[in-house]
Amino acid sequence: MPTVAELEQACKPTWCPGCGDFQMWKALKQAIENVGYTYERFAVVWGIGNAGNGADFLRCQGFHALHGRALPTATGIALTNPELKVIVEMGDGDGYGIGGNHFLHSCRRNVEMVGIFHNNQIYGLTTGQASPTSDQFMKTPSTPGGVIEEPVNPVGVAVAQGATFVARTFSGDVAYTQSIYEQALRHHGFAVVDVFQPCPTWNKNNTFKWYAERVYKLEDEPGYDPDSRVWAFEKSLSTFHDLTCAPDSCRLPVGVFYREEGVPTYQDRLPQLAQPMWRQARKPRDISRAMRALG
Amino acid sequence: MAQLGERGTPDISIRIGGPAGAGIKAAGQSLARTFMREGLWTMDLTEYPSLIRGGHNVITVRVGPKPFFSHAVDVDILIALDRLTVEKDGPSLVEGGAVVYDPASVEAATLPSHARGVPVQLDEIAKRNGGVIMRNTVAMAAALALLRFPLEPFESALHAQFDSKSAEVAEGNVRAAREGHAEAWKHADDFPLRLSPVPGAPERVLVDGNDAVCLGALAAGIGFYAAYPMTPASTLLHYMARHEGDGVVVKHVEDEIAAMNMVVGAAFTGARAMCATSGGGFSLMAEAFGLAGVTESAVVVGVFSRPGPATGMPTWTEQGDLQFVIHAAQGEFPRVVLAPGDRDDAFHLTWQAFNLADRLQTPVVLLGDSYLSDNRQSVLPFETARVTIDRGETITEGEVSDYLRYRDTPDGISPRAIPGVKGAEQLVNSYEHDEYGWGQEGERAEVRVQQDEKRMRKMELARTLAPAPVAFGPLEADVSIVSFGSTKGPIRDAMDELAAEGVSANFLQVVTCWPFPAREVSGFLAVAKRSLVVENNYTGQLEQLIRQECLMEPDDRLHRYDGRAFTYAQIAEKAREMVRRPARELTGVTR
Repeated sequence: MPTVAELEQACKPTWCPGCGDFQMWKALKQAIENVGYTYERFAVVWGIGNAGNGADFLRCQGFHALHGRALPTATGIALTNPELKVIVEMGDGDGYGIGGNHFLHSCRRNVEMVGIFHNNQIYGLTTGQASPTSDQFMKTPSTPGGVIEEPVNPVGVAVAQGATFVARTFSGDVAYTQSIYEQALRHHGFAVVDVFQPCPTWNKNNTFKWYAERVYKLEDEPGYDPDSRVWAFEKSLSTFHDLTCAPDSCRLPVGVFYREEGVPTYQDRLPQLAQPMWRQARKPRDISRAMRALG
Repeated sequence: MAQLGERGTPDISIRIGGPAGAGIKAAGQSLARTFMREGLWTMDLTEYPSLIRGGHNVITVRVGPKPFFSHAVDVDILIALDRLTVEKDGPSLVEGGAVVYDPASVEAATLPSHARGVPVQLDEIAKRNGGVIMRNTVAMAAALALLRFPLEPFESALHAQFDSKSAEVAEGNVRAAREGHAEAWKHADDFPLRLSPVPGAPERVLVDGNDAVCLGALAAGIGFYAAYPMTPASTLLHYMARHEGDGVVVKHVEDEIAAMNMVVGAAFTGARAMCATSGGGFSLMAEAFGLAGVTESAVVVGVFSRPGPATGMPTWTEQGDLQFVIHAAQGEFPRVVLAPGDRDDAFHLTWQAFNLADRLQTPVVLLGDSYLSDNRQSVLPFETARVTIDRGETITEGEVSDYLRYRDTPDGISPRAIPGVKGAEQLVNSYEHDEYGWGQEGERAEVRVQQDEKRMRKMELARTLAPAPVAFGPLEADVSIVSFGSTKGPIRDAMDELAAEGVSANFLQVVTCWPFPAREVSGFLAVAKRSLVVENNYTGQLEQLIRQECLMEPDDRLHRYDGRAFTYAQIAEKAREMVRRPARELTGVTR
């Protein structure tokens, strides 16, 4: 079972100094070591973006997929090898913008895998355009007059659309992020983890300090009820904010919003997936019955 | 206009026409199955608009005691379930052909003057025996009576179809069939065509192209199939879904983008994986098709064309996507494009496609069209003993050391260790990458060149592995035809028709369209007296390939792009016209 050191590659990170991706990388390695997978029992899929660049830095059975398409690629892996835990690393543009349709359907599908969304509310790799989660009125090179749309509410969408584990965390709190990751990895079903991850280079609004002043832990709140879908959805609405919000009026909850255990996963409902599907192709399949049916 | 019984071939064609939703396709197919079980050869042609109800649907069943390869050209017996059928399909009847019609809904005065009317109280008989839904049963039994074909096989077919649902329904259908048969029998003496069972004929199956592809994929050990419905590929999804119990995960996904990306993910785990669609869906798949190329994923993609662009003509046929599949996705990467010409090809090329994909670790396209996908033909059961499984250099178990997923090798094939193999840590990468898979390293000029050349080198291996063109007919001929895909059937029938007139034709079927078999095609054209390229498109996409790859041009070409397949008569007529012109002086173009 690889340790944190063994999960590191010779290839070293190229993220900007102060990027929240470093903290997420650290938390993920520690979570994988703690849960204790062997190399043969987990696979990681990345989308394209600064989050996706992490593909070069984690030693594993990895797949660096297309922009926006990490979830379907991961689904193809999960639905053909039940012996693999699949972790999917995406950005906000990647997972909620171009890949939004796949996000929606992954939530309702409840394939057992973990989706980690690096949510820095900006496009980093393409130099600072607005993302689907950029705050309303934020000015960027692609929105010089300010973003007109309301941001995507990924937690709310995930809860509404049937994801069985929905959490949010802030990369600045590495230990907390790691604990959320471990819960997500141990969840039997589709786990969504949205991570506030400051981009010091392109997002001068949602800085490390900006998040730190606003986040609070859901479990510290009276009436914390992650078994209730309605409560979780209501909490997801409180995360709406815009550029003008002050720290005391704009509180951003982090933690596990919703958790439902015991729901059969997509894989659970496929009796033919008792073993990896490559085993089906060891010798020609007998099709005589299928052919007779056409006679 | 052709005369009844003067077609030169001993087969008969029966057309059923009526409103959409009247179960016409099912009716035609049970008629075809009845004939097939009695030792006759059959081929359907289904024509229908892209509507759930309200359009005009037609199925034409060609049937005869000797094998043929394509659909009927004209109609001997027309079963008109409504007035519109008489109006639209009456002109297709041969001189002296019969129209089976219901005098309650069609006036005798509206029947075409060159045909003979056979009034049968379709509605009345159906209602008497259980409901108007049995109208098709009555009509088919009437057609059998006109041909003096025994009713018993049809009765057994009705029992086979309905016994499991309800004995009452089965009995009702049989009674309706008997009444329809008796009524039409009165007119059979005036109608000269006869059809008889062929005892002792070999067992056959009734399959369309999509059935054949699915059987090929199942035989090949497919483990994952993903698709979004799109005509004419949707029935592949239905068929595969019905066979999940055979050990296939079948996923109807949110869009074709997901389908292709899932299939690439499934290939990563070593599953044999396939998706299929039509041209529009393949447009959405294009980026991930390239992903399969650069990640060196063994995937099979079915592209079953209909006339485009955009939504086009969903239920009709065309060969308009040949150049598209050869060029789809940005950048350069190796691919193989196989074009089955008939159902037997569709079966065998499908399992071979999986072997090619595994050997080459690159995407393989099966390119077909609606004409192949949709229409059923009686064929001998596929020779499953020929099926082999060759997974190439795939390591599924055990342990590897110093593993490099994209190791540079002389033939470009890097041994592929799937997840679960000890030591198989790797990075499969959509970015250009180095031998391990690292994207950062892939930006170095020499690494890019190494990996690009490694991938493209696989095309040389592909040339040696991919199926060669197939030649039909004599070595020397008056007319030499080059074509690909579903034109094969009409061309082969045209050759038979021409041979009966003393005109010789031969035909080179391009099976692997990419890598293009330039040597074989050049050789065929070089000795041709008069060469003709036949393709179901406007721009001549196969001819473009011939010009590009062989630096030759054919003497003439025959294109069709009205959404319909070529008839053998049309191809034969083109050949006759060429033969009337002096050889080698056809276009005045030097080669």
